[in-house]
Amino acid sequence: MSWTETRAALRVAWREYQLSYRGATFWGIAAAGSLLAIWRASPAGTSAAMAAYQTLQITLFGIAVLAILVGAAAAARDRREVASELVLAKPMGSTAHLVVARFAGVWLSLLTIVAIMLAAAMVRQAVGGTPWRLGAYGNAFARSLAPIALATAMGFSLTSLLVSPLAAGVAAVYWVCVPLARGYMPWVSDMTPAQHWPVPALLGAALVALAATSYGKALHTPGRGRVGLGGTTGVLFAAAALVILRFVLGGEDALVTRDPVLSAIAAQRSREGERAPGFWLPDGAGRLVGLSDFAGRPVVLAFWGPGSPESARATDILSEAARKYRGRGIACVAVCVDRDSATVGPFGREHPSLVMLWDRGQHYGDGERWSDSPLGLVYELKEVPTFFLLDRNGTVVNRVEGASAYALETALSDLMRAR
Amino acid sequence: MEIEIRGLRKVYPGGVVGLEGLDLRIPAGLFGLLGPNGSGKTTLMRILATLLEPTAGEARVAGYEVHRDKAAIREILGYMPQEFGFYPNLTAYETLDYFALLSRITDKGERNRRIERALQEVNLVEVAGRRVGTFSGGMKQRLGIAQALLNHPKVLIVDEPTSGLDPEERIRLRNLWVELAGNRIIILSTHIVADLAASAEQLAILHQGRLLFAGRPIELLAPLRSKTWIIDVEEEELSRVRQEYFVTGVFRSATGMQVRVVADEMAHPRGYAAEPTMDDAYVHTMKQAGASELD
Repeated sequence: MSWTETRAALRVAWREYQLSYRGATFWGIAAAGSLLAIWRASPAGTSAAMAAYQTLQITLFGIAVLAILVGAAAAARDRREVASELVLAKPMGSTAHLVVARFAGVWLSLLTIVAIMLAAAMVRQAVGGTPWRLGAYGNAFARSLAPIALATAMGFSLTSLLVSPLAAGVAAVYWVCVPLARGYMPWVSDMTPAQHWPVPALLGAALVALAATSYGKALHTPGRGRVGLGGTTGVLFAAAALVILRFVLGGEDALVTRDPVLSAIAAQRSREGERAPGFWLPDGAGRLVGLSDFAGRPVVLAFWGPGSPESARATDILSEAARKYRGRGIACVAVCVDRDSATVGPFGREHPSLVMLWDRGQHYGDGERWSDSPLGLVYELKEVPTFFLLDRNGTVVNRVEGASAYALETALSDLMRAR
Repeated sequence: MEIEIRGLRKVYPGGVVGLEGLDLRIPAGLFGLLGPNGSGKTTLMRILATLLEPTAGEARVAGYEVHRDKAAIREILGYMPQEFGFYPNLTAYETLDYFALLSRITDKGERNRRIERALQEVNLVEVAGRRVGTFSGGMKQRLGIAQALLNHPKVLIVDEPTSGLDPEERIRLRNLWVELAGNRIIILSTHIVADLAASAEQLAILHQGRLLFAGRPIELLAPLRSKTWIIDVEEEELSRVRQEYFVTGVFRSATGMQVRVVADEMAHPRGYAAEPTMDDAYVHTMKQAGASELD
């Protein structure tokens, strides 16, 4: 493909983008998404990192689903508007370049929606007087690239694939395998966009390539070039499968909760008067930090999860405590329990006085029993936030449940007096 | 430059026959394609536009084989299907820009020149900035023509719609076809037979996938010369005249009814000779093939 043809394809992508953003669907989704983002960014004390995190959650669970529909609608547009024959009779109208260019245009339009939502959350934050922290929003945007691409590719490709026997076969295999391999769904749901971005990216690319191949075939395009495209599709799918295997089977993110050794450790008591279980957890930059790094110092260990804003207040309370007891040797460690390691970065930057660590786990909102985080099990966590107060010897002397600044302050002053 | 069709046959899945072994040569110039619905006109045009694979036989468009050289044919092809639509959110100008890009006109300046020219040719310059969703049926038809002209096609295939154009517009377009048909092939499938007498250099009549006639309009008229008559009839004798003569048309005149007939001799007292028209010739041809529903 020459440079002029590439430029033409880019222009087509731009036109496709125009087609998308001029529709009522686009503005409907953008408006609803922005309102949701503003709502989630509104509670008092919501920080920029939290606003961006909440917006990303809306994106992953809402916009990604809609992206499937938007992609499907875009792929079916020619048929809907009876423009197929006009397009097909053109030299480029029956080639794979068109499919890829159109996909790119639709993807771009959905990313624009994400950007609008993030901007809405950011403006809401600015109105509330919270510091801007562009980095947190940029982080959330970057993390939406791959999942939105995959969702769009799914909708875009399924439209052309669903009519083919191949797609029917794939669907049949899928629905037979899901009940048979029960462990499969947790693997999929435990994938996170930031850690596993090659998975959605490769799968998305493979789907678009597959759509392009079947598009060319349906139009009886001359055979030249089709083999190459089919080969590329095969290679992409194989690569995606390998990447998935590597993450699911061999990766560091294997579900440790089902690990028998860890379950045995979890049976230990971590009560007041007993030595706290040790750990090694990564911080926002991926460096491992261990409890032994704070040997000889009193430690406040807070578990919290970004899924509940109430629990996120724990970080503010702990930051306040860290400021108050600065210079008295106390270590304030916050363990962020989330599926995605990339979450911890922006929150860590917002709380420079804390040691912000990440433990893999899930939370299902306020008040729910929530944690499958390994360290949470070991510490017999019942809710987030929970603060553990450890003395100089590493013994748990107190445990405070809930985001109560007063309760923590009382427990802390007891701890500092006792030494 | 010409189109050569040999033994072209198309059987659709399900056994419906679109074309039944067609042999035809289409030279440069305006070529009229006539025939009732389902006669195979659209099948033929879609095969020539590389949108449909023939079952058997071969067709060469300017030397390119429709089986193999699809990309090459699409480079020199302008095609307007009978029914089509556009993306309602784009303006007329943007729509043409989109289709020009699909025609691989990659240079921006060149693209703009061609779009301007095409808009002028179909008289849409004033509404170039309007969204196509707001266009009337006739305007969409004209935009359809404009998109087919963008790549300066050597072969222009137009499947004319049965409706959508007002008479004035129709005449303007007919003139446009004649102007355009200098050194290129224009295949025009139309329902308005009369128009072709003056404009088409060659025409073909299809019926049930077979060729009934191919040649110049004058050749179609020739056998009817001095065999075409008009009879002034009373209303009650109409059915009798229909039985006796080969009727090609019935008209109401100021004095009563007139029937156009084709016959070797005229025995009716109020019958007189007339010049054959394209309509006479077309109906005559169709009736001879047993295809007309006019009786």
